[in-house]
Amino acid sequence: MPEYTYLSPEWAAEAHRRLKAELTPEKMKYVTSSMVTFYKNCPDGKDRALFYRFEEGVCSELTITVGEPPQAEFRITGDYDTFAKISRAELGSRAALMNGKLRLQGNMVKALSLSAVVDRMNKVLATIPAKY
Amino acid sequence: MTQTSDDRFFIDFPARIQRIQAGMAQRDIDLYLGSRLRTLSWTLDAFCPWRSYVVIPADGLPTAFTFVIDASRVGDDSWLGPDRVLGYAPMGGQDQISAISDLILSCLKGKKGIVGIESGMAPYLPEGNLTHYEYERFQAALPDCQLVNAHDLIDELSLIKEPGEIMRSREASRQVDIGHQAVREAIQNGGYHGMTETEIGGLAAYAMRKAGSEWEWSFTGGNEIASGYRTGLAGGACTPASRRLLQPGEPFMVDLHAMFRLCLGDHSHNYLLSPATPRQRWHAQNFVDLVQLTLDTYKPGMTPSSLADELLAFCEERNFAEYMVPGFEHGIGMMGDEWRIGMNDGPFPYWTNPEHVYQPNEMLICAMQYACSEENIGFRYENPILITETGCEALSKYPLGIEEV
Repeated sequence: MPEYTYLSPEWAAEAHRRLKAELTPEKMKYVTSSMVTFYKNCPDGKDRALFYRFEEGVCSELTITVGEPPQAEFRITGDYDTFAKISRAELGSRAALMNGKLRLQGNMVKALSLSAVVDRMNKVLATIPAKY
Repeated sequence: MTQTSDDRFFIDFPARIQRIQAGMAQRDIDLYLGSRLRTLSWTLDAFCPWRSYVVIPADGLPTAFTFVIDASRVGDDSWLGPDRVLGYAPMGGQDQISAISDLILSCLKGKKGIVGIESGMAPYLPEGNLTHYEYERFQAALPDCQLVNAHDLIDELSLIKEPGEIMRSREASRQVDIGHQAVREAIQNGGYHGMTETEIGGLAAYAMRKAGSEWEWSFTGGNEIASGYRTGLAGGACTPASRRLLQPGEPFMVDLHAMFRLCLGDHSHNYLLSPATPRQRWHAQNFVDLVQLTLDTYKPGMTPSSLADELLAFCEERNFAEYMVPGFEHGIGMMGDEWRIGMNDGPFPYWTNPEHVYQPNEMLICAMQYACSEENIGFRYENPILITETGCEALSKYPLGIEEV
């Protein structure tokens, strides 16, 4: 099984493929929203943004950009290392938020209602063989 | 809550926000951060029991923040709707300082400007002024902003009551009157035997809730019930109900509070549980006469001090001045506005200005406490009154009197 460099274009393509294949609209509660996870201090010293768009529960867009993140309904910001630990299941995403290691911007009430579907998404992403 | 303009309880909240924004413009305030309970009720039309804030930009709609566990309910109740009532929580970026500061900065050109805040002091615990800690944290998060105390902007705008607010207050008083009827029916013909103050408070609450009251809003203990010596405590104008049994031969005071769409009913009625003595009846007559005189005296142009002078002279003439607690009113409005009258412009900051001149369509609680502690007797009168063009309208219509039951 190939191993992907985390946040590389190849990793993003695989992530998009798996999200579409493994998460049915029903599992994703037919959600329509957009989210950016903004990785600060990546190993190459740059900041990167992973942008997701879901339409009626289908992941219609997944892109990675360098520099300032695109607009989205929700933005989660943190250090690359923090996200990497979450991806390796060394740290829970909720714990990271509660400890202030991640910063969420967006409507908190809506975010709460979407937390279960985001967990499902993260579980799929965690299965991608990756090197950090 | 969805309102329609043909609703007799309608209040034009968008117009209120525009009036605030006009006042902000006059004072060069770029954004208003409200935190007092009275401000939240007056701008949001929703009850905010948790620490909450309203961010009012220079133009456009405000955004409210409350503890996330209650945000959906507040959003559902408020005219602003769920998209403009946001929750805060102890999470990165979602704590109240971060979330609100982010919004404030996004509203300000160049992320700088003058931000009106609410600071001060109050004898009322849930007033909601910005705390010292909050002030410091907001100032740190908004380094290019000047925070200025601007609560008097809201105080000025909320002084004169609008028709919908008056109608809501009338309805709350109607509900209070239903509570008093329920108490009267329960205690008559010896029905009070074996009943406690808490039970009276509860049965009144049940009757008022059946009539549509949202809660017994007073922070002083909900429905305040006192019997016997507790009615005569000189510093006893707040009496949360106790487990004391009602006893024959004692005075009995029932102070009920109902809330209807954030407007407040507050009426006290008094009894003598028979057998009453001539001395008790003398006290009772003093009090009833004084209350009647007070209601007859309120009119535009009066001030709290001129009213007090006139009424205390009557008490002196009738030889019961030593039993009167020298205060005859407190403020009232939407939830959170229930103590100071008028503006913060008196000799003691944040207390009622004794020279405040009453104007038509101001509302206040006519509030009097008669206390003769050495005889274990006292009475309380409270009733929301609306200053009219020529006098006042008592909103509770329950007949004035001290009944013997």
